Amino acid sequence: MGNSDAASPASAAAARDAKKKRGNRSAAKLKQSKRETRRGQFLSKGQGNDGNDAKVATSPTGAGSNAGSPILASPHPPLPRRRVDSRSRGSDPEDREEAGAAGLEVDGSGLDSPGSDKSQGGDCHQRKGFSGNGGGRSLSSGSSVWSSSRSVSDAEEDTGGPEDESEVFDDWEMAADALYIDDSSCNQSSGPTPTPPPALTTAAPAHAARPEPIRSKTRAWAPDDIFRPQSLPSISKQASFPASIGNRWPEMGMSAAQQGILSLPLSCPICCDDLDPTDSSFCPCPCGFHMCLFCHNRIKLEDGRCPGCRKQYNTVSAAEGVGGGGGAKAAVGTGREMEKRLSRSCSMGPSY
Amino acid sequence: MVDVSRVQKELTECNRDREVSGVSIALHDGANISHLTGTIAGPADSPYEGGTFVIDIRLPGGYPFEPPKMQFVTKVWHPNISSQNGAICLDILKDQWSPALTLKTALLSLQALLSSPAPDDPQDAVVAQQYLRDYPTFAATARYWTEAFAKSASTGMEEKVQKLVEMGFPEDLVRSTLKSVDGDENMALEKLCSG
Repeated sequence: MGNSDAASPASAAAARDAKKKRGNRSAAKLKQSKRETRRGQFLSKGQGNDGNDAKVATSPTGAGSNAGSPILASPHPPLPRRRVDSRSRGSDPEDREEAGAAGLEVDGSGLDSPGSDKSQGGDCHQRKGFSGNGGGRSLSSGSSVWSSSRSVSDAEEDTGGPEDESEVFDDWEMAADALYIDDSSCNQSSGPTPTPPPALTTAAPAHAARPEPIRSKTRAWAPDDIFRPQSLPSISKQASFPASIGNRWPEMGMSAAQQGILSLPLSCPICCDDLDPTDSSFCPCPCGFHMCLFCHNRIKLEDGRCPGCRKQYNTVSAAEGVGGGGGAKAAVGTGREMEKRLSRSCSMGPSY
Repeated sequence: MVDVSRVQKELTECNRDREVSGVSIALHDGANISHLTGTIAGPADSPYEGGTFVIDIRLPGGYPFEPPKMQFVTKVWHPNISSQNGAICLDILKDQWSPALTLKTALLSLQALLSSPAPDDPQDAVVAQQYLRDYPTFAATARYWTEAFAKSASTGMEEKVQKLVEMGFPEDLVRSTLKSVDGDENMALEKLCSG
């Protein structure tokens, strides 16, 4: 794994960071005994841990280009709070697309800034924040499973977090069980957490809806699980939130896809088929008209004009390349390029 | 081929509030989903008020990526609708169609077209000329056509039935014959005489 190689030279610094992070984590969210014991288990398990912890620190670096934290951090003070929930979402393919779409614009700052250590941290926060509240634990097991079926580089970049847990356990069953226990305890703790900021509560169910497809691969969800999007009574109320600030999201580094998932119709307005998460995160035109990829493809072949605003797609995406997040090309085509970026920034990370 | 699920959804959606919107759509012959019949109520404060206008709708195979083909079945006196064959001149039924539009929005657009004609881009030049030069006559003609062709068929039907019964034909036979020829009095008479 190139990741541990890359991490080892800087393992000391990285480990220090990781510790700091861990401190923050427990301070922020009142981690209780289960987690601590497991951590102790890690430590007693041997030296590999430093490397693993370093991985925790470095893996967000992989997302170093991801949605520049300087932009995010200021308008979104509550974000760092969510780092606690950590480690899961990275493996969602569309998340990575989003991250890439956003990252394309701010990439330079993330890479070049001398204080990139800090910015990495910020990215880490942002990325971790996606996993929502306590349920993040159970997700992380899912993401491990998910990533194991994907390319090595994906696994490195996306699931550095879960790996350090999963390597300790010999098989997935054990790991999953441990995670499940941990999950329930997390859920308990997340309840009494002093009033979470509004951004947190809004974002959590929003992103919670996203990983649903993976859900089937993981353990069953608790009946009161936060990740049941439809049954959450508060969702509809919160849906008004992104609508009000929707226009500001792109400048905050949030991709249009994220704001879309909340305000989005559930089915394609053109073919009336259900929109899957990829379709939902796909926003080909700045006018905000959503449709499924099939319909979009057909329109591009025939007419080339957005059904929502009748502008030509070509000119639209060219203009958007400068300004908005989630242009047609950025959203769809750059998976490979993204990976390159990620791995590059990942290998650069530890040298700071 | 035609996106059946979308068309069915459009039908239910459009007919849900037909009382309010004044437009409705039905299958033309029950079997073929690409041949529909739309009806729109004549907009208030226009010469078409009180009329019910029937529109023949054919969905091309590419629908909704191609516009539906619409044509007035009911005769209308309107600058943008052919008084001969009911052809409609409306941009959203041609180059300005968008897949995001629906049959309902198209029918509503036709309703709007009835209340605000665009004589500068006419389909029927004679009507457009009259509209521009002699609006009162235009309005009177349009009102007359509405009265004659678009008012509820049943009242007109009763008169025809009455007339034919007075000629000596049995009432139920008159009714069935009139129905078979879509209410055309002369055709019915011909049929009754020959049959």
